[in-house]
Amino acid sequence: MFILPDELAIDTDVARRVIGAFIRGQLKQAGFGRAVLGLSGGIDSALVAYLVAEAIGADRLLCVMLPYRTSSPASQGDAEAVIADLGCAGELVEITGMVDGYFGRDGVPGEGGGEAREAAPLRRGNFMARTRMAVLYDRSVTWRGLVVGTGNKTESLIGYTTLFGDSACAFNPIGDLYKSQVRQLSAAIGVPEAVIRKAPSADLWPGQTDETEAGFSYPELDRLLFWRIDKRRSIDEVVALGFERALVERVDRMVAGAEFKRQVPPIAKLGPRTAGVDYLYPRRRPGSAAR
Amino acid sequence: MQPLRIALAQVAPRLGDLDANLARHHELIAESRAGGAGLVVFPELGLTGYLLQDLAAEVAMRLDDPRLTSLAAATRDLSAVVSFVEESGDHRLFIAAALLEDGEVRHVHRKIHLPTYGLFDERRFFAAGGMIRAVPSRLGVGVGLAVCEDFWHLSTAQLLAMDGAQILVNVSSSPGRDLARTHEVGLGTAGSWRGLMRTYAQLTTSFVVFCNRVGVDESLSFWGGSEVIGPTGAPVFGAPMFDEGLFMVDIDLADVRRERIGLPLLRDERPELVAREWRRLIAERAGLAEDATAAPGSAPGFDVAVDR
Repeated sequence: MFILPDELAIDTDVARRVIGAFIRGQLKQAGFGRAVLGLSGGIDSALVAYLVAEAIGADRLLCVMLPYRTSSPASQGDAEAVIADLGCAGELVEITGMVDGYFGRDGVPGEGGGEAREAAPLRRGNFMARTRMAVLYDRSVTWRGLVVGTGNKTESLIGYTTLFGDSACAFNPIGDLYKSQVRQLSAAIGVPEAVIRKAPSADLWPGQTDETEAGFSYPELDRLLFWRIDKRRSIDEVVALGFERALVERVDRMVAGAEFKRQVPPIAKLGPRTAGVDYLYPRRRPGSAAR
Repeated sequence: MQPLRIALAQVAPRLGDLDANLARHHELIAESRAGGAGLVVFPELGLTGYLLQDLAAEVAMRLDDPRLTSLAAATRDLSAVVSFVEESGDHRLFIAAALLEDGEVRHVHRKIHLPTYGLFDERRFFAAGGMIRAVPSRLGVGVGLAVCEDFWHLSTAQLLAMDGAQILVNVSSSPGRDLARTHEVGLGTAGSWRGLMRTYAQLTTSFVVFCNRVGVDESLSFWGGSEVIGPTGAPVFGAPMFDEGLFMVDIDLADVRRERIGLPLLRDERPELVAREWRRLIAERAGLAEDATAAPGSAPGFDVAVDR
């Protein structure tokens, strides 16, 4: 169904136990009993939906489908199949009006002005991701649930995410799993095979796939990142393992260039105690849970 | 026969909530007593939770803190190992484990090795203990206390055993990591710990009692898997990974005598030789003696020569 490099294979039973307790722990510490996530029809958000349902029960999960007018109808079909299979709450919120309201449509400028009409696909894609984030955080209030992140380790490392868009969440259960491991865990937990098999895509335009766009396969990229980052191998050492030097150097640049996306923005240090610098508290402590 | 029932309190402390954790300790001590246990062991920072950061100062207790002495008072005819943040008279904060017995604080071990690498940042928030001592116990044998990382240094187990411990107690907050499928028990951390606990038990011909917490602090998931290992190095009991619970284990302390008569490793230790060689190494590292393994021409205290 997919290629799983040996060195990336995980014990999926242990992973499900750890992640389940993690999800319950995060919600408990925050004083929440429910969760909400954006379900695209792709494998990452599908896996998180299954993990959340397994951890707290499907009745406590809301999956929101947030298609734009160019989004693949097949993706929405896959998302609906996941919702039906889990028996969780599902909701459809079209973001077309919000996005087109800014960029304009059919020659009519939107709130973004005339220039925004010419926006490139990447810029539009980022706007869509942030629009979805805004909707999810609004639904978080009405559903009384925390927003669960659905980004994986591979895309986070290479920066294939939108800052304050799809990366925005209260917590992320799969952010330390490479794409290949996401596939392995998805197969173990019962994500529909069609979702596991299809080519990963940001779905910004018809036919777009991550791998054709980036020029590498996920198993290869995952292996490279695993050896470079988790196993601390030098560039020369991974080249000796058989990776092409040009690819190694390009991926290194992507990882370094995305460092800012993985961290909280710095605050200018001025006072005696500064959040994140020398005012360091756990995110949740006695008194901080929602009432 | 010297039977002893050990209760392993594999709990999930609430981060920063000293009152709630204290109440849970009282309950579990009572439950252990009712279950016939002679020794009950709680995990590292079981009274406070692990990932405290700046909360450490807010949950710290002095050794005369009424909350600690009231917990000690609950140990009539019982031994209990509990762990908390200890504030010294001069306001240093330690990760402490205390042996409470017959109503008193019998012994305090301050964690001596504070991991400050990888996912750990303990040295930023805590002071390192400066003593390692075994203590006689109402159980009739010496007890040695260690906290988590202390066991990742060979000298800890050896010193405690040489000082008279027949039960080595390690209390831990070990975060689980590395899920590679090739690991025997599905978790790299668990495999590493199991290996070193069996080795320590065997080489010190002592019981090793390991109590590791469960639950989640922020990103970290603690894996439990508390164990009791016999003086041959063979496991007597293993608690499940990740599940909270109070687990009762029966041991026979006479196993220590049998093992030490048959395999007199401790008798044959050479502490005077070890101490002599350590003194030499310390002097070499301080640049006060010549280092035989340094490159020729190295400056005192350095092991690589620099061309000038």
